[in-house]
Amino acid sequence: MGILTDASLNQRNHLGRNFLKHNRKICALFYLAGAVWFCCLGHSQFNHATYLSENALSPGLVYSEIKVESARIAQNYLDELNREREVYRSGIPYNWIMAKMQQIGLEVYTHNFTLHYPLGSGREFHGENIYGILRAPRIGSTEGIVFSAPYRPPESVHPDITASVPLLLAFAEFTRRKNYWAKDLIFLVTDREQLGMHAWLEAYYKGDLEDASALDAGNLKGRAGALQAALNLEIQDFDAEYLNVKIEGLNGQLPNLDMFNLIQRIAARELPVREPCGYKQTSPRKRAKNKNAVLENVKAMLSMLLSQANGVPTGNHGLFHRYRVEALTLEAVKKPKSDYQSRGAAVLPLLKVIEGVSRSLNNLLERFHQSYFFYILVSNDRFVSIGDFIPCLLLMAGPLFIKAFFLWLGLNVEDPEMEKCDEDEKQAESSQTELKPIVKKELDLQYSKVLRIFLIAHLIGFLASVMPENRGLNEVFATLGLSSNQFITGLAVVFSIVALLAPHIVELNYDGVELLHIVTLLELASVLVVVGLLNFALGFLLSIVIAPAAILVDRNHNASIKCLNRFYVILLHPLIVSYGVVLILTLNAFPELGLLAVAQRAIGATMDALTYSVVDSIIYGNWVYNAVTIAFLSNWMMLWRVVCYTKTEEGRPKLKTS
Amino acid sequence: MRKKLVLYLFLAAVLRYFLIISKFSRIIRNRVEISTPLNSFKRVQEGAYLYKHGINPYSGDLVHEVPTILLGLSWVLNNCECLLPFLFIALDLLTAFFLYEMTKMVLRSQLDQARKAKYAPDTEDIQLKTDDVEPLSHYVMMAYLFNPFSVASCVAQTTTVFSNFFLSLYFFFLAKKQITPCMLFLAIETMRSMYPVVLLAPAVLQFSENSLAKAIKVVNAFLALCGILSFLHYSMIGNWSFFDSTLGFIFHYRDLQPNIGVFWYFFTEMFEHFRTMFLVTFQMNATILYLVPLSIKLRKDPMMLATILLALIAIFRSYPCVGDIAFYLAFLPLWKKCWKFMAQNFIVFCFFLVTVLVMPTLWHLWIYAGSANANFYFGITLGFCTGQIFLVTDLLFAHVKREFCLKNGQKLFIDGKEAKIILE
Repeated sequence: MGILTDASLNQRNHLGRNFLKHNRKICALFYLAGAVWFCCLGHSQFNHATYLSENALSPGLVYSEIKVESARIAQNYLDELNREREVYRSGIPYNWIMAKMQQIGLEVYTHNFTLHYPLGSGREFHGENIYGILRAPRIGSTEGIVFSAPYRPPESVHPDITASVPLLLAFAEFTRRKNYWAKDLIFLVTDREQLGMHAWLEAYYKGDLEDASALDAGNLKGRAGALQAALNLEIQDFDAEYLNVKIEGLNGQLPNLDMFNLIQRIAARELPVREPCGYKQTSPRKRAKNKNAVLENVKAMLSMLLSQANGVPTGNHGLFHRYRVEALTLEAVKKPKSDYQSRGAAVLPLLKVIEGVSRSLNNLLERFHQSYFFYILVSNDRFVSIGDFIPCLLLMAGPLFIKAFFLWLGLNVEDPEMEKCDEDEKQAESSQTELKPIVKKELDLQYSKVLRIFLIAHLIGFLASVMPENRGLNEVFATLGLSSNQFITGLAVVFSIVALLAPHIVELNYDGVELLHIVTLLELASVLVVVGLLNFALGFLLSIVIAPAAILVDRNHNASIKCLNRFYVILLHPLIVSYGVVLILTLNAFPELGLLAVAQRAIGATMDALTYSVVDSIIYGNWVYNAVTIAFLSNWMMLWRVVCYTKTEEGRPKLKTS
Repeated sequence: MRKKLVLYLFLAAVLRYFLIISKFSRIIRNRVEISTPLNSFKRVQEGAYLYKHGINPYSGDLVHEVPTILLGLSWVLNNCECLLPFLFIALDLLTAFFLYEMTKMVLRSQLDQARKAKYAPDTEDIQLKTDDVEPLSHYVMMAYLFNPFSVASCVAQTTTVFSNFFLSLYFFFLAKKQITPCMLFLAIETMRSMYPVVLLAPAVLQFSENSLAKAIKVVNAFLALCGILSFLHYSMIGNWSFFDSTLGFIFHYRDLQPNIGVFWYFFTEMFEHFRTMFLVTFQMNATILYLVPLSIKLRKDPMMLATILLALIAIFRSYPCVGDIAFYLAFLPLWKKCWKFMAQNFIVFCFFLVTVLVMPTLWHLWIYAGSANANFYFGITLGFCTGQIFLVTDLLFAHVKREFCLKNGQKLFIDGKEAKIILE
């Protein structure tokens, strides 16, 4: 009980002084430990091989029954669909798809939805999904599995995935002839990319999402019980080179690891060796061999975190996760050069994969609940679980707490020189009473002023979060003839300027700034922990960037380092961080362009990214934009106030307006 | 100072009122950290509805509020529902006011004691002064009025608001040294939530003045008032079923809904076979385990004893909620002179901050996203409890250290060297 029972105050002072002296080293040590820990996770000693926890899945226990005639049907459907696509250049050939589903013998329904675009003048978008339900012969429609395929009209800017619908229909045709289904199968063709899927799910669950005003999800005429799992297909061509599995969902949620393992096992069994399948799979010809395994693994983990961090789903599967439905996307990437010989070579293996997955899912006795929901894939057959990777985040966010603690100690610990004075006085006890008030450091923590800054900063952050969806403001800007893009960028710039100036409204003294610094660090650390729990990727990447603030920013620096601190804090401004990220991505995407051209292009891309994040937050419930504005922008303002404080020589506080 | 007092009360009332009419009140009302089966407003509404239709509200497993409060609230619900928020706000403000008055009296009596005692010379900064009385009692009131926990509890309209009100009256009369009203409010609160029975100990210490006969008189008064209250409840409902639905429900821990306490996880996981044993163990932990040693140690300081016991009840009771925590946190400024010796206050604050933020996060991940599970949530509530226990231990030790330093001086020298004081 030493820590609780040590009654000697001066012991604590002594310890505190030592800690204070070395606080930056201790913080840096923690930060480095976090980084090293993360790199260690790439080593096979620190990660685990994947395994299937859920016995009911038993992949590959049944003989594959799907035969080559199903492949031929798929090929025929594709040819027919291609002819239809020449007629319907910008829409879905509803009649053809519905006719085929009816022919197969499914219960066919359509689903209409309307989006009132939340920004600008409020345009409306309409869409229509088609879905067919195969009722399970063995059970009364209490559970269901979804197989979905997005349909992209020929005019779409995204890669062509026409082959998905024929494959889906061919598989539906096969399932119709079997009697062993214990779950309803839903075959869903969605319109308008993720919006269609979102609307369908909202309508299916009659979700209580508050953004009901933006999206009118409409009604579903047929349902199939509680959804257990979903498989989304994005087939570029029947002549596929490899299969790519996409798992990242809305707000960085992942499907149960068992679901991913299931796909891996079945793909390994059914696909020919030359058609590999895996997470972030690349062309087998491109992959380099014999590289440093740990380095490759760390790179793979980082790339997964990067794609997870923005909270945007990588495919239609990502929207299922919100409703606790395990889902992922299978993307078949076509060969760069296709010859007539190998035309359609991948159809049968693909069908076999889907069949295998559906048979396994059909065996499920309860929802996915075993295995892991929080994981990072190191490679296709190795992973890191939450218990192993959360310490990285804690070690990264830890310095912020530690720094705050040291600052607090620093406030309460008397300076060594003063202590000496005190002791001298002890000898001359009579004169002590008059001298003491002068020597002793009087703390004036200005609680109410710090509270005021805190409230101002958060009010501005809150406004930045809710302003973009304000209908009236949007109307005004739309009548001025500004696009929603310009509107959002304008708001962002205004808020950035306000953020630069607003914290200086309240005057603070030396101790007050110190208290503000402590509050800032504590808030930042707690927010990082919370964000890291909700979306580890975002929390971890942010703490990599932000945690050095704890080590670097300090009041006792000379002027040049203070300048450097300010520069660093400016770089941490959310708008600049997002620009930086976009810039790096643009540099990677267009390495042939000059730096200046890239920088210019990145500005436009950042504007787009801002608008998308606002729209995502309003329509889909992606919280990255809200978290950044409410928590990080407000916190940045307070941090900015702290680094802007300068102490004049007499020790009198002077107000510095940026 | 009066003006300031009224301003604080007004601000607190406005804050509470706006939160109640805002869209957040529904979210706040449904949080497990704030509304437990014991205190949730929904259950009171159900009970009022059942009573209105002539059904015994205690026949099911739904209502756990004593008949007086239930009937009182159901009368308000039926006749003037729009006034209900104001009732809760008024009770909360009154609680704060009584705490304020209580602090004043306690500090004055401590000052009287201090005048008689002789303290070591270098202890001015830890001695209580006359100037401290007013600011400290203000702090106590503010700590209750603006604590997010008490605000949330009031906005959710939990019956914990009533509990805090009765307890504040108990403390008020305890400080005022009036036996009958003090015992009356303790009896009311004990009949409602069982655990306050341990607060009989500080009352006995306060009133008995080392005479056994007086102590027996206090206990007798308490028992008699409990009896009268039971009979009153019986006459309102017409049968004794309310006993099992209130005290029985608390003791037997029948509702396993997760909360911020330590009970739910253990009783979900445990074999039914061992339930009785663990039930008794856990309830002993919450009530009499610390009662005897603490009463002996703090026999000269019943107020400190009451504070510590209040905190321990809030941590270890079977259906804890943040409203209880807010109440004992309000007592901390009363012991401001001990703060110097509280070594862990920053760490405890960090504990509170992180756990309070992470709790709803993990709840979301467990219940809505489905990716986390009960273990995560229990882990963080355990962390929250640990933080609170740190706080209580720290306060207790700080009190002991302060007493020691007041007597012996803050700096001790043995052979010219500064001595290290170790408590063991």
